[in-house]
Amino acid sequence: MKYVLYQLKRHPLAIIAILVILGWIFLAFAGPSFLAYTYTQMDSTFQMAPPGVNNHLLGTDALGRDILSRIIVGSRSILTVALFTSILSTILGILLGFSAGYFGKAFDTLFLRSMDILMSIPPLVLSMVVLGILGDSTIASLTLIVSIAFIPATARVSRGVLLSEKSQEYVQAARIRGESHVYIMFAEILPNTVGPIIVEATARFAYSIMMVASLGFLGVGLQPPTPDWGMMVIENRPIIADAPWTVLFPALAIASLVIAISIFSDFISKVLIHER
Amino acid sequence: MNSYLSTVFSKVGSLLATLLVISLIIFSLVELMPGDVAQMILGQSATEDSLRELRQARGLDDPFFTRYGRWIAGVVRGDLGDSIYMQGVPISSILWRKVGHSLFLALTAFIIFVPVSIVLGVIAGVKEKKAADSIISFTGLATMALPEFVSGVILISIFAVRLKWLPIVSVIPIGQTLFQNLDILVLPALSITFVMFGYVSRMQRSSMIIVMNSDYIKAARLKGLPERYIIFRHALRNALLPTITIIGMNMGWLFGGLIVVETLFGFPGMGSLLMTAIKTRDVPLIEACVLLITVIFALSTMTTDLLYGYLNPRIRFKGGQR
Repeated sequence: MKYVLYQLKRHPLAIIAILVILGWIFLAFAGPSFLAYTYTQMDSTFQMAPPGVNNHLLGTDALGRDILSRIIVGSRSILTVALFTSILSTILGILLGFSAGYFGKAFDTLFLRSMDILMSIPPLVLSMVVLGILGDSTIASLTLIVSIAFIPATARVSRGVLLSEKSQEYVQAARIRGESHVYIMFAEILPNTVGPIIVEATARFAYSIMMVASLGFLGVGLQPPTPDWGMMVIENRPIIADAPWTVLFPALAIASLVIAISIFSDFISKVLIHER
Repeated sequence: MNSYLSTVFSKVGSLLATLLVISLIIFSLVELMPGDVAQMILGQSATEDSLRELRQARGLDDPFFTRYGRWIAGVVRGDLGDSIYMQGVPISSILWRKVGHSLFLALTAFIIFVPVSIVLGVIAGVKEKKAADSIISFTGLATMALPEFVSGVILISIFAVRLKWLPIVSVIPIGQTLFQNLDILVLPALSITFVMFGYVSRMQRSSMIIVMNSDYIKAARLKGLPERYIIFRHALRNALLPTITIIGMNMGWLFGGLIVVETLFGFPGMGSLLMTAIKTRDVPLIEACVLLITVIFALSTMTTDLLYGYLNPRIRFKGGQR
């Protein structure tokens, strides 16, 4: 703990990043109760109103809906999906990558080949096509599909860290003691590889936000009326010249969250893995 | 050199195998799509008889593998089928022009981000922990996971809405070609550059740091060679190799990014074509687009692999000193 505080002192940017992330989490939980407007309410006298007019702090869109309310309510879905996705893809990655690295031989070859095949479709293209085909995305389908698209990345990292531990003496000792494979993998090796796995999972969180926002932007994310940051950008794109705030603020919301998480994950990797 | 050639052949072989599996996956995925193709072509008012007739004529009731075989045989001949949404227009007649546009956009982005990221990455690596490094590293970190449409929107707001230097959308007027409208490429290409810059410059920085601390560079310094000569002649050569790998690995992101950027700017490429295909549930067009993206992606990954092998003598002359 002392070490973390010491590291925080050396990286003031990380403190800002953590505050931004906590701020978004707070707004997602408590934000809607402070708002003057709900996210679907249409203010018919103030359509495309610039920021500040009639209590619309960030202005309104073409239908007169409050941008601030939509951004704050939209933060809930993106944080939820991205968090679930980074957790699920990390777990699936550990299960697959660990088994492949641990059992080796034919299983490992099969694993590597299938990952090559899965990787040969770009992750965004894969999730976009599958979600588009399935239609009406939900939090569950979005989480599952994006996690699958991320498996090649997470599983390869897990396999790599397992391979670096596999030949350690404590693993051989456990084997000689006659422990089961599952026990060795998850009770012996896993605790020793937590560092790099957490680093990968936090980086994955940033990529999940990027991916979920992009899918929303492409129209295959959560469906209306749920406000979605990516969808707000594409919805208001045609009026960018007349009402740039309708597009700029959701974009800045995504940027602030993604950059904060990237800085945070960089900080985590500096703390957990030796500083380069 | 012989072993290098055999690597090339085995790579091409595994590429073909991968593509075969991928084509099967794509074909079965689209099978999952709800809705009846015959109904989509004829519309809701079609009679039961005419639907049956069309299904028979198109062989829609044939078993899965018969239809898959027919599709693949067509693809190999260069016949990608007809678009449903665009009233039976052959896909190959619209696809290639759009693919050309997309590749040209990707190339433009490539020409911008590769040199910029490498040069700035080298500067950051050489000036490790100095102010220049902090600025470059922070920018790279910030842009690394920034969705292309976010950087795109910010660029549009500045350069198209406020300064009015560049067009706000990237459409090609009817009757003109892309080459008469090169200005529409600038903002989309820059939007892609942001994400790629993050990856490539960070990789270049860390590999530069490793190389600059290695023994042979210390030896070159002790020989009294000028620093500039050491950096460009000795260090950069080795420090470029990991960067090439990372560029190859991120080609997938680049193609995903193309779809996002093309949608944002309304650029007539294969990304926005795939978007339309998904929105209109145009089965043959989805299949053709995804397969083509996979082929182009696979070819570019293979090229970077081979380039890496060629540039790295330890791989080129297999069996040499490791």
